[in-house]
Amino acid sequence: MSTENPYLKMEGLTKTFGKVIANNNVNLQVNKGEVHALLGENGAGKSTLMNMLSGIYTPDSGSIFIGGNNVKFSSPKDAIDAGIGMIHQHFKLVDVFTAKENIILGQKQGGFFTNNKKMGQGIRELSQKYQLDIDPDKKVYDMSVGEKQTLEIFKVLYRGANILILDEPTAVLTPQETTKLFKIIKRMTEQDCAVIFISHKMSEVMEIADRITVLRKGQTIATLDKDKTNPKELTDLMVGKSVDLSIKRIETPKEEIALEVKNLSVLNEEKVQVLKGLNFNIRSGEILGVAGIAGSGQKELCESIAGLYPVHEGEIIFKGENLVGKKPAEIIAKGVTMSFVPEDRLGMGLVASMNIVDNLILKQYQAQKGFLINRKPAIAKAKEIVKRFDIQTPGIYHPIRDLSGGNIQKVLLGRELDSNPELLITAYPVRGLDINTCHKIYDLLNEEKKKGVAILFIAEDLDVLIELCDRIMVIWDGRVSGILDAEKATREEIGLLMVGEKSDKTEGAYAI
Amino acid sequence: MLYRIEKRSDISKEKSIGIRALAILLALITSGAFIFLLKLNPIDVYLSMLDGAFGSPYRIRETIITAIPLLITSLGLAIAFKMQFWNIGGEGQILMGAFFASFIALNYPDIPKPILLTLMMIAGILGGGLWALIPAFFKAQWGTNETIVTLMLNYIALKWITFLQYGPWRDPDALGFPKVPNFSPNAILPKVFGVHIGWIIALILVVLVYIFMKHSKKGYEIAVLGESENTARYAGINIKKTILVSIFLSGSIAGLAGMIQASAVSKTLAVSVSGGMGFTAIITTWLAALNPIFILVSSILFAALIRSGSFIQTAFGIPSAAASIIQAMILFFFLGSHFFIKYRITRKTSAKIAQGGE
Amino acid sequence: MKRVSKVLMVLFLAMAVFLTGCSGDSGQEGAQDVKAGFIYVGPTGDGGWSYAHEMARQYVVEQLGIETLYKESVEEGPDVENVMKDMIDQGANIIFATSFGYMDYMEKMSLEYPEVKFMHCSGYKMTENMGNYFGRIYEPRYLSGMVAGLKTESNVIGYVAAFDIPEVVRGINAFALGVQAVNPDAVVKVRWTNTWYDPAREYEAARALLDEGADVIAQHQDTAGPQQAAQERGVWSIGYHSDMSEAAPDAYMTAPVWNFGPYYVEQIQKVIDGTWAPESYWGSMEDGIVALAPLTENAPEGAQAVIDEAQAKIKSGELKVFAGPIKDQEGNVRVAEGELMTDDELLSFDWFVQGVEGKINK
Repeated sequence: MSTENPYLKMEGLTKTFGKVIANNNVNLQVNKGEVHALLGENGAGKSTLMNMLSGIYTPDSGSIFIGGNNVKFSSPKDAIDAGIGMIHQHFKLVDVFTAKENIILGQKQGGFFTNNKKMGQGIRELSQKYQLDIDPDKKVYDMSVGEKQTLEIFKVLYRGANILILDEPTAVLTPQETTKLFKIIKRMTEQDCAVIFISHKMSEVMEIADRITVLRKGQTIATLDKDKTNPKELTDLMVGKSVDLSIKRIETPKEEIALEVKNLSVLNEEKVQVLKGLNFNIRSGEILGVAGIAGSGQKELCESIAGLYPVHEGEIIFKGENLVGKKPAEIIAKGVTMSFVPEDRLGMGLVASMNIVDNLILKQYQAQKGFLINRKPAIAKAKEIVKRFDIQTPGIYHPIRDLSGGNIQKVLLGRELDSNPELLITAYPVRGLDINTCHKIYDLLNEEKKKGVAILFIAEDLDVLIELCDRIMVIWDGRVSGILDAEKATREEIGLLMVGEKSDKTEGAYAI
Repeated sequence: MLYRIEKRSDISKEKSIGIRALAILLALITSGAFIFLLKLNPIDVYLSMLDGAFGSPYRIRETIITAIPLLITSLGLAIAFKMQFWNIGGEGQILMGAFFASFIALNYPDIPKPILLTLMMIAGILGGGLWALIPAFFKAQWGTNETIVTLMLNYIALKWITFLQYGPWRDPDALGFPKVPNFSPNAILPKVFGVHIGWIIALILVVLVYIFMKHSKKGYEIAVLGESENTARYAGINIKKTILVSIFLSGSIAGLAGMIQASAVSKTLAVSVSGGMGFTAIITTWLAALNPIFILVSSILFAALIRSGSFIQTAFGIPSAAASIIQAMILFFFLGSHFFIKYRITRKTSAKIAQGGE
Repeated sequence: MKRVSKVLMVLFLAMAVFLTGCSGDSGQEGAQDVKAGFIYVGPTGDGGWSYAHEMARQYVVEQLGIETLYKESVEEGPDVENVMKDMIDQGANIIFATSFGYMDYMEKMSLEYPEVKFMHCSGYKMTENMGNYFGRIYEPRYLSGMVAGLKTESNVIGYVAAFDIPEVVRGINAFALGVQAVNPDAVVKVRWTNTWYDPAREYEAARALLDEGADVIAQHQDTAGPQQAAQERGVWSIGYHSDMSEAAPDAYMTAPVWNFGPYYVEQIQKVIDGTWAPESYWGSMEDGIVALAPLTENAPEGAQAVIDEAQAKIKSGELKVFAGPIKDQEGNVRVAEGELMTDDELLSFDWFVQGVEGKINK
């Protein structure tokens, strides 16, 4: 690995949007054959920087050099031609096409008709070179998330990319798939590709990166060799001050069962069973973590409890009362609050075009009497929440659409916690948040726990689940594949349960 | 491609006003060229357009009379549009409102004026509201596409009125000419300051709709539902009920416009009571970004455009189609300017990789 | 007929003198001060009814050099009130509204604006400052019926008609009587369109009649749609309002046509002179307000002679179109031998003569 061979050099890049400086004089050097991690909190300017590199934005000033040549991109196509390939968090694949069809989609060569034989040969050669396991004739909708990601990587490699940008690639993967991805990344660097790796997960950065560049508030703070640094130093650089990285699991007295779910089954619109007889319970003052691959039934579980999803069979007993068949408004009134942060952060629970005040009203106005809405209490609350959660906004009357993702989420959580719930269901509350805020939210959950609230916590980061929760329920394919004592659980064990492989340890041991 | 379209991140007020002003200037130049082709002096025509819409108390009154149904219907549409319910059935709702009101007016011509007019208003509100309830019910129950249903219901309402006009309600005293008998004097709205009191009703509605949209629970629910059905369900909003209530309101306001037109303008039931206002109101509603106060402004401006188009037709003896073209050009440029306020077109620098010195 | 209108005219002249005597100050208005407004139901380019009035308006401008206003495509609904108000606002002091459906609105306006003169075409209402005028188009229509009767081989003649109002019914009856005068076996089939001006609908109605076996198409409509339908089928047609030979050169034979120009000039001149008074004028072929357009080479051989003879008789008063005996569709004698229908009867015609296939909604 040659250390002084800057294959990609970005010098003094600046990009402003209106009055906001997204990138201010940013410098970055990436060498051939290295994995370069990009660390930074939300809004630090990672996305802007990468969007300039992939031709989506044009920089206001500064220059990009590839192999010593000054390049100017005015469209993504220019960037692709220069050998830059971006793998987005959301895959850009056509579901009904095969792998091969997706690969050749949008390719210039071949003209209107494609030369099947030649393509097939090209794909074989490439898959041998990088040891990428691809079935060219498999349709995308038949693929697992890991396979789709491999296909995305393959696609950009096929287009001749030798600088790959991976934007939070592990967010959607199981630990096993992550391991596989890291192998692919290593293989690519062996073939002299450069990889830029964007992630929030410190453990992964420490595992895969060769060098790490930290961005903060649109500026480059430092570029460090992995071997000469540690997670604590990196986090401090990211945040700009010293941060306590540990998550406390507080002990609370075991109280009575607050929520008991018995044999819960639901059908989706196509009448396919998506929850297949779930059984579990949560005590007051307990955090039950839920782990599982995306789409294993998390959303349906949350919505069933909140009364938003029709229950096919089973019971949801809350404080001795069956919630099945109750209207959402009645369930809210009983002290059940549900916040689900979807991928776009806005799909449910918030209204993008409305301001903070009107978003706070969402859960309160029905309790008000009369025809008109009294906004005064909500205005006071909005000011309080903005202060307490340190929400960055031009004002409480500003549409939340214009806030950054993290701040939008704070509004949502602020509202839900504010309603003094007895059962708090929260799914992906830290999705895409920076480390500082994440810890703030973990602290808030602990505070609620202390108050005796029963918490159902659905999350992606297994390390966090293990550290924060009392028990961890793993779901797979609409079933509970195991409920583990968080203190004794390991990542590997959870990972296996997430793909439906029962480990010996769970057998019977934690059955309810 | 040498140019590309970029979304503007934000735009200063001065710039947005500038773009609009430029749009209007371009509209005037383009239609000016067109007017020139008609062998007329564009400046004369423009001046007389202004003159025709606002040039005398009579003309101002006429512009206001034209604005009333536009304004009222727009207010109704704004409620539906806020919920992202694409009610393009304003035309039909106006007609059905007029039909219900006419039923009262023709059957009870002799009851005292205040009572008769009140009954007619209630009937008009019911007529438009119930007619709008049909697509709302279909949408709430089976998720049908309201755009198509409301549009088609326009034609049914239109043909229904035509049927009445040629058939059961035909005026026996009109020597066979197909028209509905004129209302009795009791069924005709009184005038205040030379304009029928529809203008007062319209102004009251502006305030009521403003309060409803901004400060009422239902108005809030409509806004939430319009943005995201998921969020509405999540907040425990009764979605079906909200759709039915708000669309009933939307239609009933249009129905009231129908009653006013039938009573004060046509003084009978005729196909022409709607006069295309149900469609034109879509434009004024959007131009005003669904804000009741802005709707007031856009309706008056649009009414002025209609009136001035009609004025130059007689004043210069130009064909009605040519007057419509001038109106359409002005509108086209103005609406087009919205695109440039939201987006900008930037010139692409050529996509070559410049050779740097090694 | 002529006598009736002359009597009426004398009556109104007397009334006018009386009225002007009362109002006193309504003295002469110079030609500069007179502005005439014209309201058309269709576009001036319709080649039919509105076109005929537009030609007359241009004739007025040519003859008198006064200012005129006009508005085309004005619906027969309440909107016409606004059009009249606008014209008055723009200085019009005599307004010609040229469609039946404008009548009630014009009556209302005439009461609201006593200083303005109103002239309504084809209606029957009058006020102190509103008169009506029309032409006995049934006379040339009778002649056109003769041409159709001579031409038809299938003995089915199609008639595309606008509304079932007396004016149109009268025309159909006159046409049918003309047909029967030369061809007693032929029938006239009627289709209503319920529109004065709708090229597509009129075209479709004509096609339907052609499908029923008609080989000559006549019309009481304002567009040449029916003419084109006849031409497409390679059969024959009778136009209306104005010479329609351009629209269907291979089908068009002749048409009852209007010539309003001289009448308009006369009326406006009276306004200028200060002698105008409302009247109910129903001009005849002899007056020249209506005529039969020249026969084209599509017309049957020998038709010219037949028409010339009948026309001369109509003009001289020897031939009356609605002279008994006339039977209705059921065969009942409605007008006995030797009797004549009165103008009142003509103005409220609501039954078809024998030989017409069609229905009137009563």
